[in-house]
Amino acid sequence: MRRVDYRDLIGGALVTLAGAWAVYHSLTAFTVGTAARMGPGYFPALVGGLLILCGVTILIPALLRAGPKPVLELRPLLWISLSVLAFALLVLSFGLVPAVIVQSVLASISDCKLSWRAMLILAGALAIGATLIFKVGLGVILPTFAWPW
Amino acid sequence: MELFDNVMLGLATAFHWNNLLWCIIGVSLGTLIGVIPGVGTLATMSLLFPITYALQPTAALIMLAGIWYGSTYGGSTASILLNLPGTPANAVTCLDGYPMAKQGRAGVALLMTTFASFCGATVGILMMMLFAPLVAEFAFKFGPAEYFAIMVLGLVAASVVSSGSAIKGITMVVAGVMLGMVGTDVNSGVARFDFGFPELQDGVQIVAIAMGLFGITEIIASINHVKAADRKIDVSMKAMLPTRDEVKRSWGPMTRGAGLGSFFGVLPGVGPTVAAFMAYALEKRVSKTPERFGNGAIEGIMAPETANNASDQASFIPTMTLGIPGSVTMALIIGALMIHGIQPGPQMLTQHADMFWGLVMSFWIGNIVLVILNVPMIGLWVRVLTIPYHILYPAIVMFICIGTYAVNNNVFDVYAVLVFGIGGYVLRVLGFEPAPLLLGYVLGPMLEENFRRAMLLSRGSIQTFIERPISMWVLLLTAVLLVWGVWSSLRQRSTVTVVRSPSPEST
Repeated sequence: MRRVDYRDLIGGALVTLAGAWAVYHSLTAFTVGTAARMGPGYFPALVGGLLILCGVTILIPALLRAGPKPVLELRPLLWISLSVLAFALLVLSFGLVPAVIVQSVLASISDCKLSWRAMLILAGALAIGATLIFKVGLGVILPTFAWPW
Repeated sequence: MELFDNVMLGLATAFHWNNLLWCIIGVSLGTLIGVIPGVGTLATMSLLFPITYALQPTAALIMLAGIWYGSTYGGSTASILLNLPGTPANAVTCLDGYPMAKQGRAGVALLMTTFASFCGATVGILMMMLFAPLVAEFAFKFGPAEYFAIMVLGLVAASVVSSGSAIKGITMVVAGVMLGMVGTDVNSGVARFDFGFPELQDGVQIVAIAMGLFGITEIIASINHVKAADRKIDVSMKAMLPTRDEVKRSWGPMTRGAGLGSFFGVLPGVGPTVAAFMAYALEKRVSKTPERFGNGAIEGIMAPETANNASDQASFIPTMTLGIPGSVTMALIIGALMIHGIQPGPQMLTQHADMFWGLVMSFWIGNIVLVILNVPMIGLWVRVLTIPYHILYPAIVMFICIGTYAVNNNVFDVYAVLVFGIGGYVLRVLGFEPAPLLLGYVLGPMLEENFRRAMLLSRGSIQTFIERPISMWVLLLTAVLLVWGVWSSLRQRSTVTVVRSPSPEST
């Protein structure tokens, strides 16, 4: 089998799909109007068309050449994402301090350079710092501690 | 004299204690994050974006600007000491700065780059003081067709010149414009692309995009690649004194660097990174001893450091007078102004004269503060370099989350950050530079508005863009750039990034 540039193949395909969806959605869901009196769908449809053009321009040469395979560093991706997700889920129902502690522990796991103890110390320090800066200093409306049940 | 009056007005604004305070905070933070590789300018500006909601618009503007030019000062420190550029604009300083540090001349290099930065900034600020009013006056003649053309030029130039493949840069710009469409259409009131989320009817929050793309994405990509400094470096005043020969050899590069930098700064889309590279290349070409470059030639650090600072300051000219951001950083600054209901443009110099001239004068203050920060206090920054990244990044993640939440007191924005962070990382792995996306996002709505207006005025004839001379020449230039960019990226076949830096964000 001939080798192709997977990186650009995937990228180009994603862009083309996004563009195609945008054009379809703009033409069907919104009024398009005329060039002189454009409706809400006119400009997005044009931009979507440009996206398709860009996607195809990336895609086609990628079929004709070999290229590097894309490598996702899954470990940091997973743990940092979980860390942000944990904050978003916890902050309103459990409060700022628990949310920051959980999120900073999750974030620290992703490169494994800290021991459990150091992680917890860092998390505690960040929680205190966050409360002082954002609650006391900037007056952000957030519960410090909360209990949903 | 009008200029004199304006300068006095600016000084009065800039010396107002509140503005002065935020200027100093801005440049100090800028230096701090410039010094730390793996924490980009964009990330920091995004992080501090929520604070600007609470500030007076002038103070917000002065602070954000301070971060921007402050980071270019600080960035050279990391380039010289670690061989890692603190910001992309300082990447080329590594080539001769690090060899100088290895020869035990780090102190000299640090002092001289600070001096070069200051001189570059001086030229840039002078340019802004003299030319911004002229450009603004000229810009009053522009209609929607001209604005549309200039915006297209800015977008194309930014994507073609940025590192990596031109076609991918353009793709990201177009995707950004698409993203800017999300939300309620101003003309008809129809909610577009809201995916059923009522939160999206006001559009995607710029904070969420910036924090996701430049905060979370940066962290994910940097975790395994950033190292802290572990050497002792002599930064006493005595070790910083350059020899007379070094001083003599620095004037030429600084003059040429300042000229190049201001020129490239004014062009939309061409930022300090390109200016620094060009200045280095020029010095190497005019030098009688090009073989010394790369082995610690003082010219090799002076020219790019002058050029990038001159360009930093000059890039405010198109941003403030036309309202068209030449770079992503400038797009963020415009975003901050628009949140306060201020639309930068030619009328800014008359309607918000105190703000404009206050900003210009704050540049002087900021640059003087930066010299103080970077010469007597350099030891502090050197110590900052030894903070390990694995302690730093959990703190940054925390700031991103709470900062985003605090803008609207809404958890939805934190989820949006997550989506943009993951999306940005995937794009980055696929070789797409996420920075042009933000530029497209900020310009997108303006682009649509001006396009619609121009077409309305011409009764639906697309020829209006060619019939009006200014817009025709601008579009012609755009077309040339576009063809050149796509041609060279197709010929290259595979994408080659010019310099591998830990935070390859294009500016």
